[in-house]
Amino acid sequence: MNHRRTTVVPETTAQRGGYFGRALVIDVTDGSTRVLPLPQQVLRDYIGGAGLGVWLMHHLAPAGVDPLGPAAPLAFVFSPLVGTPLTTSAKFAVVAKSPLTGFLTDALASSHFAIAGKLTGYDAIVVTGRAEVPSVLFVDGDTVTLENAAAEWGLSAADAEASVRERCGRSWRVASIGRAGERLVRFATVSHDGRHAGRGGLGAVLGSKNIKAVGVRAATKVAPADPSGVLAAAKELRAKSFGAATEKFRELGTLANLLAFNAISTLPTRNFQTATFEGVENLAAEELAELRGVTRSSCASCTIGCEHIYRRKGGKKVRMEYQNVVAVGPMCGVSDPDDVLEASARCDELGLDTISAGGTIAWAMECAERELIDAPWLRFGDGAAVLRALDEIVEGSTDLGRLLATGSKQAAQVVGGGSGDFAPHVKGLEMPGYEPRTLHAMALGLAVNARGADHNRTGAYEADLAGDLDRLDGGRAHALAAIETEDRAAVMDSLILCNFLRGVFDDHFAEWAQLLRLVTGWDVDAAELRATAERIVLAKRAFNLREGWTPADDWLPARLLENELTLPSGRVAGLTPARLRTMIDAYYDARGLDREGRPPVTS
Amino acid sequence: MVLAGGRSSRMGAPKAALEWHGSTLLRHVVGIVARGQQGRVVVVRAPGQLLPALPDTVEVLEDSREGLGPMQGIAVGLKAVAVDADLAFVCSTDLPFLHTAFVRRVLRAFEDDQPGAEVVLPLAHGFPQPLAAGYRTALAAKVDKLVEAERLKPSLLFEDCDVLRLDEAALLSDHALAAVDPDLDSVVNVNDADDYAAARARPAPEVTVQCFGVVAARTAARTRKPQLVLAATVQAAADAVGLTWDRHVLAAINGDQTGRDAKQPLVRGDSVAFLSAAAGG
Repeated sequence: MNHRRTTVVPETTAQRGGYFGRALVIDVTDGSTRVLPLPQQVLRDYIGGAGLGVWLMHHLAPAGVDPLGPAAPLAFVFSPLVGTPLTTSAKFAVVAKSPLTGFLTDALASSHFAIAGKLTGYDAIVVTGRAEVPSVLFVDGDTVTLENAAAEWGLSAADAEASVRERCGRSWRVASIGRAGERLVRFATVSHDGRHAGRGGLGAVLGSKNIKAVGVRAATKVAPADPSGVLAAAKELRAKSFGAATEKFRELGTLANLLAFNAISTLPTRNFQTATFEGVENLAAEELAELRGVTRSSCASCTIGCEHIYRRKGGKKVRMEYQNVVAVGPMCGVSDPDDVLEASARCDELGLDTISAGGTIAWAMECAERELIDAPWLRFGDGAAVLRALDEIVEGSTDLGRLLATGSKQAAQVVGGGSGDFAPHVKGLEMPGYEPRTLHAMALGLAVNARGADHNRTGAYEADLAGDLDRLDGGRAHALAAIETEDRAAVMDSLILCNFLRGVFDDHFAEWAQLLRLVTGWDVDAAELRATAERIVLAKRAFNLREGWTPADDWLPARLLENELTLPSGRVAGLTPARLRTMIDAYYDARGLDREGRPPVTS
Repeated sequence: MVLAGGRSSRMGAPKAALEWHGSTLLRHVVGIVARGQQGRVVVVRAPGQLLPALPDTVEVLEDSREGLGPMQGIAVGLKAVAVDADLAFVCSTDLPFLHTAFVRRVLRAFEDDQPGAEVVLPLAHGFPQPLAAGYRTALAAKVDKLVEAERLKPSLLFEDCDVLRLDEAALLSDHALAAVDPDLDSVVNVNDADDYAAARARPAPEVTVQCFGVVAARTAARTRKPQLVLAATVQAAADAVGLTWDRHVLAAINGDQTGRDAKQPLVRGDSVAFLSAAAGG
């Protein structure tokens, strides 16, 4: 059938001040569109990216909506800094109610999609409904088109992206889902230019709408309020981005964490049974860089260049990050670099969130070891088993694959037998590569974060490692530190600037306020940005509360609260329920929440 | 608990402030005690006694009465720590070679050797070592009474409580301690200028340094392989491998706390990791 529909919406005009002041809401069921005005106060209160995303979800997602139902909105949200020469600003957020957690999820990604998407003339593009057949959604300025995606359905995200651009032209920027998104795997990603908006199953949300890909093309311009000021700030920021604060990312990438974290017992291994991995040397960035390193790369508008590309067996290449390696390496007990590179590449191709995929498989390996599931082939340390599990998850060809496609929380509820105690998740989102028992501020950050077990929205590991706190003795000070890093992340994720720039700022909120002032012309200061950060954090919490959050959701897996670890120093690292409770209570108190973690009605 | 009072009359200068590998003797001993157990560290000083700089986490208590010897300091300290601890390692400030393994060995004896003990008293180098010993904090009242009665010798306390005496063989039955302090230098104290000079003449402890990631590239040898060096503080360890230590680098001793405390003391057998402060990933 001819599946092309075109809708013309009001004409877009060039703007100043970093915003267009409106969002485009597209119902792909019938291709209809509407423009949602974004008043300046809303933009000032929520900035953009993850912040504006939660505001949109409050206003557009019906309470209790099925995340994979037609009524559920999925938003591509841009930010005031996108399109400026400020380094790392070419980022956008994808925001929706997560089919993995049932709560809010917002994943960030970087590429020219952010710039082209914003320059369609909207601060956000929201997709609702369900297309009749698999489709590609195009937004070309004020023109919205749905085209049949028969040629792309079944392809990897990268191939689908290439196919669309070949068909429509290189001026299009395309975000796509892989097979995992099509098959509604609860931890499927939205991908573009090889990068993923990874966490929480956003790919499944798009897949549920029968949308294989979203293409955007720049149609207008937006200028900052103070172009010369922005240019000067960009120059300064760029110079700082070449300095020591980002050296690790530049020279070795995030994978440099691996050996260091192993040395300080913060490397989750075999589904959090230990925090050090005997095979760590094989997977170290230093080793891989020498043996398999090919090149470095960077996101659009980024001067850090943290991406490190490695050669796989057979000559193909793969981009590797610390989290990928931990998830399909130490977490699954796999130390063969070929296996790890292959598994990570497979996740990319299928469009799977590596952290959730690896965490869920690691949990299943332990279930198999304990004979809670009948999968004798699924053993820790077996790289081939990881690959097989990934394929089964996406293809849904076996009961086990279909089970694991729901993530470790839901799978544990089916398997029972106490397997929930070692399912490595918070709120259903699998845990990243930071060991909570040896990082107590981080433990709190993971427990209370709206997205679930997420390292990017909390960042509290910074407080643990800086040395001002005893990372094994969590208390009120850790709660305050976790709030500070959570607030910083809320602002960075809304401006948006890359988290890896954190170290170049001395007075974070004041410096960010200055950037925002230059772009928007607002008289925003550090105090206002701090209030904004708290507003965003509380808005996420309020969304979750609306969607059925209970205090029990702010908690960690039993394993982490019952089993202690011993450090090489001889110290015992334990995180008891009482200690976690103390930190959570302190967090609630400092956040102005009630004793059960609920925001006051006025906020 | 570190007792910093005392007249230091034979030394001729306050022992607490004696220079020790770029730091002070008190800072060094406090650091070792902090590393040797999981609780807090308190320092008991004489009334009005000036102390050298200490980490913020260290609590300083003032002994209200001067000249009553260590028992008065022990009484003050035990009472204070009894709030949140059952056991205390108590030592004087003049133990330059105190090892973390010794602290752990003494405290572990309360669990492993004789769970009912009220005092664990090392016997080493021919003498009992009440100022390198473990005490139950519940003894605070008893010590207080002895002080009130001006019965100021620790041995009088030991007559009236359950004391586990650990001789050298018993101490060294702990393999970890035997490996790093076979001569039990932990109890060697410095009482006069000669002792101090002899102590300073000893080489710094042998420790292993390992640098990770981009930090390794900043060292003289540009290697992440472990390097054996002599260093009494974390800063000295960085210097020994030619590492310029700035805010972008963190240090961890034996995989424990990470941080930027350059004066953290080291002991023989320690392993120091230097890693990037940018932990994002």
